[in-house]
Order: sequence, then structure tokens, then C-alpha cells
Amino acid sequence: MKKISKNSQTVFSPFIRLSCIIFCLTLLVLGNKTSFSATIKIGEINPLSGKLAKQGMEIHQGVEVAIAEANEAGGVGGKQLKLISRDDQSQPDVAISRAEELCGWEKVRALTGGYVDSLVGPIAAVAKKYRIPYVASASLQKELVQYENPYFFRVSRLQGFVEPLCGILTERFKPQRLAILHSATPGSTELARDLEGCLKANGLEVKLIEKFRPGTPDFTPLIGKLAGMKIDVIVSGGFSPDHILLVRQLKENRVSLKAYIGPFGIAYENFMRTMGEDANYLYSTCAWNPGITEPGSEATSKSFVKKFRQMFKRQPNTTNMHGYTSAKALIAAMQAVVSNGQTLTGDNIRLALTRLDLEMPMEHLVFDQNGDPLHYRHVVVQVQKGRLVVVYPPDRASGQPVFPMPSWEQRN
Amino acid sequence: MSFFASKNTKFRTQGLKFDSVGFVTGFLLLTLLPVLVQSNNYILQVFTHALLLANLALAWNILGVSGSISLGHAAFFGAGAYCSAVLSLEYGFSSWFTIPLAGLLAAGLGLIMDLICLRLRGAYFALATLAFVEIPRVITDNWDELTHGSLGLVGVPGLPSLSLGTWSVDFGSSITASYYFVFAYSLVLLGLVRFLFNSNLGLAFQAIREEEIAAEAVGIPANRYRLLSLLLSAYFTGVTGACYAHLVRYIEPGLVYGLHFSAIPMIFAICGGRFTILGPAMAALIIYPLNQFVFHPLLPAGHEFLYGVVLILTVLFLPAGFWGSLRKVS
Amino acid sequence: MWTTAVVSGISLGSFYILMALGFALIFGVTRNFNLAHGELVVFAGYVSYWLWKVFAWPFVLTFPVAILATLLICLGLQRLFARLCEPLELNSIVLSFGLAILIQNSMLFWFSGDYRLIRIPTLSRGLRLPGFYLSYGQLTLLFLSLTVIAILYILMYRTYLGKALRATIQDKEAAAQAGINVAVMGTLAFCLGAILIGLAGPLYGCIHYLYPSTGHQITLLAITITIFAGVGRLGGIILAGWILGLAESFAVILYGSSWREMVAAVLLLALLAFKPRGILGKGEQ
Repeated sequence: MKKISKNSQTVFSPFIRLSCIIFCLTLLVLGNKTSFSATIKIGEINPLSGKLAKQGMEIHQGVEVAIAEANEAGGVGGKQLKLISRDDQSQPDVAISRAEELCGWEKVRALTGGYVDSLVGPIAAVAKKYRIPYVASASLQKELVQYENPYFFRVSRLQGFVEPLCGILTERFKPQRLAILHSATPGSTELARDLEGCLKANGLEVKLIEKFRPGTPDFTPLIGKLAGMKIDVIVSGGFSPDHILLVRQLKENRVSLKAYIGPFGIAYENFMRTMGEDANYLYSTCAWNPGITEPGSEATSKSFVKKFRQMFKRQPNTTNMHGYTSAKALIAAMQAVVSNGQTLTGDNIRLALTRLDLEMPMEHLVFDQNGDPLHYRHVVVQVQKGRLVVVYPPDRASGQPVFPMPSWEQRN
Repeated sequence: MSFFASKNTKFRTQGLKFDSVGFVTGFLLLTLLPVLVQSNNYILQVFTHALLLANLALAWNILGVSGSISLGHAAFFGAGAYCSAVLSLEYGFSSWFTIPLAGLLAAGLGLIMDLICLRLRGAYFALATLAFVEIPRVITDNWDELTHGSLGLVGVPGLPSLSLGTWSVDFGSSITASYYFVFAYSLVLLGLVRFLFNSNLGLAFQAIREEEIAAEAVGIPANRYRLLSLLLSAYFTGVTGACYAHLVRYIEPGLVYGLHFSAIPMIFAICGGRFTILGPAMAALIIYPLNQFVFHPLLPAGHEFLYGVVLILTVLFLPAGFWGSLRKVS
Repeated sequence: MWTTAVVSGISLGSFYILMALGFALIFGVTRNFNLAHGELVVFAGYVSYWLWKVFAWPFVLTFPVAILATLLICLGLQRLFARLCEPLELNSIVLSFGLAILIQNSMLFWFSGDYRLIRIPTLSRGLRLPGFYLSYGQLTLLFLSLTVIAILYILMYRTYLGKALRATIQDKEAAAQAGINVAVMGTLAFCLGAILIGLAGPLYGCIHYLYPSTGHQITLLAITITIFAGVGRLGGIILAGWILGLAESFAVILYGSSWREMVAAVLLLALLAFKPRGILGKGEQ
């Protein structure tokens, strides 16, 4: 390093130089604020780095497809839509900063995106402050809609998972010794709690509820416990990696079950490919998949798949669809505002969202007075021969469930 | 002792002069920031968090100065965050009361940690702190009745409000007010750290850090002083955690007890300069906004890289930290 | 249920031992804390996965390549560590922490965040014994861990080189004075450590799954086992691994999975408080 002279005055030079550079860079970036009035700005905040990066990216891709489609069809009111995407780094304080940036600095007309409730919640609070509607792509917990926030809407909710699970367990499977496992995360914990409540109300007893930390390296002692208690059906609220390990270790220990239900993370092509044959006979819930779509929306579903493949060169999954649906809701609301001859203010868009009635591949989208999607409901699927077969509810089923699952010895 | 005193006076005076200029510049800039940016909420929000992280780094460094590196300060951060959040959300106490109390809980945890790690030094101590985080974390995670367990706490009340006669300000409701609240806290903490450094207590800490056995020989009870530095460090980390909970208003165990809040203060303190007063704060106030304003828009997935690179370059080329090296050449 | 607990405890322990050995060796000889250990294991796993998946190599053949790749990186690492000044242990913690962040993010970039699994069907099959089922995977872990420790034992206690290594572990300065080239010992330790890491990586990929962020967990594990065992004690490592594995298994059965992590932490802290020299140590420092 260059020797700096002992004169205390010149010591400031590197410091001052450095701070000038930083200051200028900052001004450069901040001064780069997009401000064309010929476009309509829509903001989006997702975890694009950190531990939720994968899912955040998938939501983002779904939103991009919706925006691209709308722009190709001429935009809204003749103006093109501009998507301003930000990363909350899976940290709430960054989510708040990004929300302030988009709402206060960039002055977007509406917000979408978001992956877990600890990130969605803070963003919703900022959106409320600026009176900008926020349609969250993947929020689940009840508490988020209990604090009065007329600017918060979401296209998913936990009830959509709990109801079909409760239904198939009480109507079809009727397990004698049911265990609910869940991950030590808010969404998974609330699912377990709500499911237990629903089952109890329908007279079904849960023998064991256990919580594990996501990323647990070994489930064998738990499996021993399950085998010792002669558990016949497991509902595991873990995520893909937990299923990967748990199912494999169930196989390794030759602990056979009548059914294994994993609401999160199973109905994905990636998971089924990684697990291969071991994924067969597993149950999951599914909001949407190419081929599994709300009756009447097949055309929209097909065109979404086609557009997605064109843009990203692979099959879309349900997470992409959540992003797509939330963005479409915003676009539809904006179009309603424009066709009524009103200006695109936050309050007008919000009002249009409350009146929204949209047929989407994932659901028939209508918001209730709290911003919850009224008709969001998963179907229960089973992996059969490497493909997803809808087995519940009966009016959407495309096949029969293989229940009980063949034992591990039979499958070898 | 007089040997220590004379050597330090010279170093102290020169370094202090540099510190004073840096401090005054920083103080002016930060005090006037809301005016400079015309109350731009986005910029203020980022700097509020930068100040919070600066406090975290300063608090961590109180322990660092006495020679112990902790990799588990998230235990105190999380305990403080949950204590204040639960007391204010579930029992309705005002944050004026719960924030200092949260610090006390964290200090209590620090006492327990010290009792366990009494005979450990250096790397063994660091690793023990790493393991220690699990204890408050798992307890918080499983104590559903008190903390809502894994569900996390939603809608934690904001920062407190202050009324003096007819004038009142709610620190939780406006970003500018929150900014000044955290800034005021930073000044208090900075004052304390400066006092520590320049007092005989600070000298004792330095003595323990440099050569523990010799220090014992001169009559400085190392264990007792380390306990003191740990208690102070834990207290202020707990208070910082409580402020975080009231700023962000949504917490869950995985977040506040996570490795992120153990690593960040260490990174900032080491990069800024472990043996300086201002170093940790400077690092936080420069690196975090740099990350948010410059690196983030430019390369969204690469920002973590920045922390890693800065850490490696610092430890290899600038062992005294950025600020420490600048001081040394003066 | 209890036999499964014991079996799973020992096989889990064997898994832990294999993950920890590389770290223990490097730390023992060079006093360098390699917090990037976990990331290196995951990297070796990814190398193996890539060869197995993309080029359809037989799994066993991927081990040498993984080991070689890790060797190259570890030698580079050693150059970096050699540039550190005192206090060595603390500075190496900080340096390796930064490296861990770098390696983790590079892997995230190159391999994406998808979960990767090396599927070896044979490992899922096994023997049905009275009271429980023992899979070939669990047997392999047990067998491998014992074999590797046996080889290390022969190396450390029956060869001159091993003696030199042990001397360096015990007291670097005295060893240097006795004429042992401490720098060469350091390089040797890094090489051996790299081989062990290269062995652990592919195993991790087929017993567990690969994901860029799992590195941190593996590192924690390795640190726990090393401290448990006490520095430089081979026998201690086996004991440490098994005790930890058994403790976790029993904790899950007795108290539930949600207390698992705390049990390991309390065990480690208790050990550090009462026997800072490790489980086979002779008491106070």
C-alpha cells in the first residue's frame, strides 16, 4: 500500500476521496429514478436472494408473464405497464425499505409479489400508509387480514389448504392413528393447528403432532416413534427437502404407511424428478398445475403455459401461477378503472379490486371484505406413475386414490 | 499501570483527534440528513436500519474490546426482541418500559452464558457462544403460550411516544421520528463506548485482551472484567433487538435468533476496526447503505458477496479495520 | 422403538464423524478454524452430483474426482490462511467465515437453489433384523466411518509421519524445535483434510441432499464433534459422534423433535464447562 505521509491533513484525502465516490455513486443510482408518465408503474417485491430466493424468483417470473401479456395486448388504457422489481433479501427490514422506495420514491400505482408472511406483513403496512393497493402473491396466515387494511389483498390463504385436507381425511381415508408433522415456520405451524382443529370438529382424533426444524438432517428417531405408535397416515407440513429426507428414510427403515400427505412442496415437477419412483403414491395439495386447472379456464391455462415456456424455456409450476394471478388481478382492476373513465389512483384501483370477479386457472378470484380470496381451494392430488392425479374433491377428481399405499416391500 | 497510562496517552491523543473530526462530520451529516434528503422516507428508512446495525456492532464490540469474539449475539438480540414484543403486544406495556427491560433480560442471559463459559478463551469461547444461541431460540420456539412459538408475532406495537406538556411526538408513526429515536440511542451508546475506552475500565479491558496472564499478575481480575463487558454488551444488544422488533413489527424465532444477526455485528466491527470507538459504527453506516442503494439495484443476487469479500480483504490486508488503519497512519 | 433409537443414533453418529473428520484434522494440526468446511463438503458433493447426473458416471468413480477438486481448493485455502497474523484462531474464523459466504453464493449462482439428491437404490435396501430394519446405507456409514478412523489411526500412530503430525498437534513450537517442518505438516494436514472432505461430500449428497446453504449446518456439526472429542484425539471423535447421535435420537423420542437442537447445544456447553479438554480429556485446561 502506498505510504501516506504523516501530515494529518493528507490523511483525510483517502477518506474524503472515498466518501465522495460513494456519495456520487449513490446520487447516480438514486437520480436514476424512472419517471416516464407514458407508462404505468407496477411495483413488485420478492425475495430474490437469501433462503427464499428460489420461490421468490418463481413468483417474479409469473408476474413477468402477466405484464408481458398485458403489454402485448396494448397495455392498460393505451399505456404500457412497467414492472419495477425489487429484492427484499428475505429480510423484513429490507422489505420495508423496498416498499418505501417503490411507494414513496418511484410512486408505483400498485404493488404485488411477496412470499412469506413475515415479509408480506411489513410491506402491507407501508402500502396502507401510501394508500397503494397491494395484492400479495403468496400470503397464508390468518393474522394478516385481521388488522384492518383496506389496501391489502391476497390470492391465497391457508384455508384453501386446510379444507380439502380435512375433507379427504374425514371422508375418504378415515385414519385410525393420524400424525401431523410440521416445520417450525409460521405457515406450516398454522396449517397444523388449523387442520387439527378442523379434524377435531369432524370427530377425527390426531394421535401425534410434532414440530421439527426445516433442514433437519435425520428423521430416523422420529420414524421410530411413529412406527412404535403404529401411525397409519402422516400429514407432513414440511417443505420439499424435508419430504425428500423423510420419505427416503421411511423407505430405508421399511416403515409402511397407508398414506403420506405433504401439502407443501410435493406437487412440483422438480421434486418428482429428484425423487423418481419414491415419489409415487405420495399425496399433496395443488392449486394449479399444467393440466389441473379450474373448470372453464382451460384456455387461459394453456396460453399461460405457452407464454411461460416461451419466456423461460421450462414448464411453469403453481408458484409461478400465484405470481401470475396476483398480477392479473391488478391489471384487470386497472382496466376496470380506465374503462369507467376514472384516473388510476390507488383508491380507485382498490375499489375496483373489491369488485373484482375474475376467472383464473388457479381460482375464481373474488375478494371478501378482508382481502381474502373467497374461492381459493386446492385439490388433493396423488403422484401415480410419475404424474399428478386429482383424487379429491369428487367433482374435480380425474382418478381414484391408491389407498392404502403399497408397502415398501411390495414396491421393491 | 503507569506504563500503560503513558503509552496510551500519546496514542489516545492522536487517535482522538482523528476520531473527533470523524465524529463531528458524521454527527452533522446524520443530524441534518432528514433535511438534506427532504424527508425522503426511503433514504431515511435505510439509514434508520443502518444506525440500528451500527448500534448492534458497537454493542458487540464492547465484548470484542475485552478480547472475546462472540458468534452468538443473536441470542441476546432475539431475547431482547421477544421480551419487548411480548410485553408490549400481549400485556400492553409501553415501549419506554419494555425496551430497557428487554436489555435486562438479555443481560441475564449474558450472565448465564458467562457462568457456562467461565474457563473458555479464544476460539473455544466463540464456539460456545455459537452453540448457546440454541437455548433461548428453542425455548422461544416451543413456549407457545407466551411467545406464540413458531407462528411469530404479528403487529408488534411501534416505538413509544413522548409527550412533554403540549408537545408530543410518536416515534413509531413517522419515519423521521423513528430515525431520530434510533439516532439518539446511537449517540448514547457511542458516548458510553467512548467513556469505556478512555477510562481505566477500558484500559483494563485492553489489558485482558492483550495479555491476560500479565494482567492478572498486575491485579486485574480477568474473569470479573470479562463478565462486566459481556453484561454491557448483552444489555445493549438486547435493547437493539427490542428496537428492531418495534421498527419491523413482525418477528419470528428463525429471524431474530438467526445467524444473520450474529454475523453482521461481527463483520461490521472487524471491518471497521475492533480496537476503535467509531470503527464498527462507520462500517455499518457505510456498508449497509452502500449495499442497499448501490449494489442492490446493480446486482440483486450478488449483495451477499459484498460482505464476504469485504471481510476477507479486511482480515488479510487491514487487520486493524478500515477506520483503525486510517487512524494508525495519522 | 428403542432399538431403532440406538441404531439410528449410531448410524447418525457415524455420519457426523465422517463430516467432522476433515475439520478436526486441519484444526488439530494448524489451529486454523475453517468455517468454510461445510461449504467445501457441499462443493465436493456438487462435483460428484454433476458427474453422476450429467455424465452418468458410476457413483463410486465420482469420489476420486471430488477428492481431487477439494484438494485443489484446500491448497489454495492454505495459502490464504498462511498469510494470517496472530491471533491465528480468531483471524482464521473471520477469514473462513468470509470465504464461506463467497463459496456459498458461488454455488448458488452455478448450481441454483434446487435440492439435489444422488439416488443410489441399493442403499435403501437392507436387512430385516429382529426388532428393527438395518439399511445398507446405515451399514455403509458405520463401516466407512470405522474404516477411515482405522486408517487414520494407523497413519497417526504407526508411521513416522503420523508421529510428526501428532507432535505438531500437541505443541507446535516444541515440534519445530525437534526438527519437524511445521509448514509441511500444515500442508499435509490440509491435504488429508481435503481427502476426508472429498469423501464426505458425495456421501452427504446421497444420504442427505445438496443445497447451497446447508454448508453452515455441516460446519456447526464438525465444530461440535471436534470440540467434544478434544483436539487431536481420534478415539474421542468416535465417542463424540456416537454420543451426540444417540443423545439426539433419545431426545427426539423422549421430548419430541422440537427440542432436538437444544439437546445438542446443552450437551456441548456442559462439556465445555466441565471438561474443556474434550470428552477424553483430563479435566481443566
